[in-house]
Amino acid sequence: MAKEMKTYVVVPAYNEEKVIRSVVLEIQNAGYRDIIVVDDGGTDGTRAAAEKAGATALRHRINRGKGAATKTGIEAAKLLGADIIVTMDGDGQHNPGDIAKLIEPIKTGRIDVVLGTRLKNPLGMPWYKIWQNKIGNIITWYLFGLYVTDSQSGFRAYSRRAAELINTHSDRYEYDSEVIREIHLRKLKYREIPIEVRYTQYSMGKIQKQGFVNGMKTVYKMIWGLIS
Amino acid sequence: MNSLHLYQIAIIFIAAVMIFQGAMNFVRGKNNQTILKLLIRIIVWGGMAVVAIYPDLTNTVAELIGMQGNINAVILTGFILVFLMIFKLLSAIERLEQQMTELTRKDALGEMKNEK
Repeated sequence: MAKEMKTYVVVPAYNEEKVIRSVVLEIQNAGYRDIIVVDDGGTDGTRAAAEKAGATALRHRINRGKGAATKTGIEAAKLLGADIIVTMDGDGQHNPGDIAKLIEPIKTGRIDVVLGTRLKNPLGMPWYKIWQNKIGNIITWYLFGLYVTDSQSGFRAYSRRAAELINTHSDRYEYDSEVIREIHLRKLKYREIPIEVRYTQYSMGKIQKQGFVNGMKTVYKMIWGLIS
Repeated sequence: MNSLHLYQIAIIFIAAVMIFQGAMNFVRGKNNQTILKLLIRIIVWGGMAVVAIYPDLTNTVAELIGMQGNINAVILTGFILVFLMIFKLLSAIERLEQQMTELTRKDALGEMKNEK
């Protein structure tokens, strides 16, 4: 009988004390016990809440951004012997019920990276988010050479091999696009799978904070990364 | 071509160093240097070197945008220097940010290892 593949779920979180417990419990209820929450230098009790809920909780002493926290979580999962690593947001917008769909192509050994995409089924997604994403996809394609339908999604799954090969340097939101570049550069096999996104009042509040100005900062960082 | 002025030599030297650094980074596979990054570096710094070697090229540009007079050359040199300083400063900040992230990550992972 083939050895059961060890799946770790990595959740980067910044000031998510209010929801992190329910996020962790939901992941556990979906059948995944190995959860790593990375508290990215927040000022609330995210780490303690995650630990109490049963997750392995890590903490950045200072805030370094979603990309940096995700990478820390992936490094931790590698150290703990993960075969498959899933990343998802800490604000509860992703449905852990989708994890099984995401990891299936990796389990069969045919795919290295699975990208959860919100745009194949954008039901309930605000129109400006759809356009914001489309612009992000075009910029990512232009700068990094690979067109995907949701270059900004944080809900992804990686095989151990992909996690070893992908080498990112971005700390903040440009991280998601940098992963796309790495898939292209390292010639990794990828698949896009539609995911559900739950736009609650809480997660929408978080999205507003990542508005136009942050979008422009992300584009600037992506261009700077190319010329520096 | 007339003899080179000091500022021309300086620009050529700086451009050569920047292109050489980029090429070495690419050859060593350092800092995730890609062929695209290297090409952009060669175009930006190579372009500056070409203008420094053949300043007459700028006459065509000057005619196009309607600039006249020697003072423009001085202003242009100032711009190039400021550009260079900003470029170096931003590179240094970026490097420091990455080092800071690395330290933060090592600290977080070290704490996890100690707890296990």
